[in-house]
Amino acid sequence: MIWEWIFIPDNDGQVEHIYREKTDKRILKKNPWRDYRLHVTVLILVIIAELIGTIKIPITKDVAITIMPLIYTIVLGLVFYLAKPITWIQRKQARIAEGAMMLFIGVLIAKLAVSSGQSIHLIFEMGPALILQELGHLATILVLPIALLLGFKKEAVGMTNSIGREPNVAVVVDKYGFNSPESRGVFAIFIIGTVIGTIFISFLVTFSLSFLPLHPYAFAMASGVGSASMNAAAIGPTLAAFPGMETQIEAFAGFSNLLSFCVGIYIVIFIALPLTEKMYNWLEPKIGRESITAKKGDDE
Amino acid sequence: MVELIDGSENVSVHGIFNWILLLTIFSVIVVIGNYIGYKHPIADSLIGMAILSLITLVGVWMERELPLNISSIIYISVIGIALAFPSMPTSDAIIHYVSQIELLSIVTVFLAYVGIGMGKSWGEFKAMGPRAIIITVLVIASTYLGSAVVAHVILTLTGVSV
Repeated sequence: MIWEWIFIPDNDGQVEHIYREKTDKRILKKNPWRDYRLHVTVLILVIIAELIGTIKIPITKDVAITIMPLIYTIVLGLVFYLAKPITWIQRKQARIAEGAMMLFIGVLIAKLAVSSGQSIHLIFEMGPALILQELGHLATILVLPIALLLGFKKEAVGMTNSIGREPNVAVVVDKYGFNSPESRGVFAIFIIGTVIGTIFISFLVTFSLSFLPLHPYAFAMASGVGSASMNAAAIGPTLAAFPGMETQIEAFAGFSNLLSFCVGIYIVIFIALPLTEKMYNWLEPKIGRESITAKKGDDE
Repeated sequence: MVELIDGSENVSVHGIFNWILLLTIFSVIVVIGNYIGYKHPIADSLIGMAILSLITLVGVWMERELPLNISSIIYISVIGIALAFPSMPTSDAIIHYVSQIELLSIVTVFLAYVGIGMGKSWGEFKAMGPRAIIITVLVIASTYLGSAVVAHVILTLTGVSV
């Protein structure tokens, strides 16, 4: 039955359940809101981040490094944890932050869900290409064998199921738990993608426009990869390559990015993640290498 | 250090109280960030966050209370889509207030908690190194090229000309 296949995968129900109990222990029984210094620290980080705002460092006419407030908070949060002089953000606070985070993912998902409901008519109005190209994102799974050959284990499932942006991180963390190898994988892709993704995609698009004989609309739709900054970086060279088609390209790129955020998350939940897991279970015994990440039993 | 608490306790009033307080703290921080970053009015943003928090609360509650093995993400998504669906009487109000909250405002606060929580796994992150960078580059390239090729094929098949 299809619902069983989707919601009750072979072993994962149990994992999810254990994980949920752990989250409940942390946030239900420890009165985490009393740890006010954690939340005040987050507030200060957010104020600093929003005051600095988005910084753009131009490299060439079309390429600019975009650094957004969300990058400051994730980096500063990590720095605050690691910095010795900051004694009030320790392991205990990190654990509370993890538990609280699981609740806050819900707010993120709720916001995306409202956007989905709101734009549901666009999904019907736009041509089949606009919707079906979302399935093209499944091509990330082709990277799975390479990840296995490089020595990744279950991290590879988190790394190659999607482009690993905010909604994908939320889905993977919710399914496997914060401390799972899958989540470490998607976090790695997220952090590296945040830092180099925008620049990389600018060059990738420039290169593709020069060498691939595809429809201009196809380039426009493809630029909606599910990340606002990467979308912006991808549109620049596309517009320059097809003068006179600015309006259509901008429209398709915008809608496609909206679809990536609205529908993409469901493609990941219902198709990409189960498919990646099946690929992993099939390929890992065949081409898996020695694990490169040492097992650490420090979860508790 | 093992916590000697079993997970058998049901959701109590006390537990829901903790969820509400956490979501309130989160909402206040998001609204402050949303105001500084995007200058959206504070009162409307607070109502927007109250709506999103309520959806979250119901979804999280359903995940734990209903006898189905369904993630809260699904419950929250279904509730959110249903409330904002164009023909629903709730949609205008929901869309107005929720649109006051930028997705990036939520993400910015959320990632501050992620950054702090992530500190514990820092060693493993460092261990990923250059291999993870190779995979990231390949993942971004494949997602872009994958959807470009599919879009091109469908456009060609449906006869959309240049």
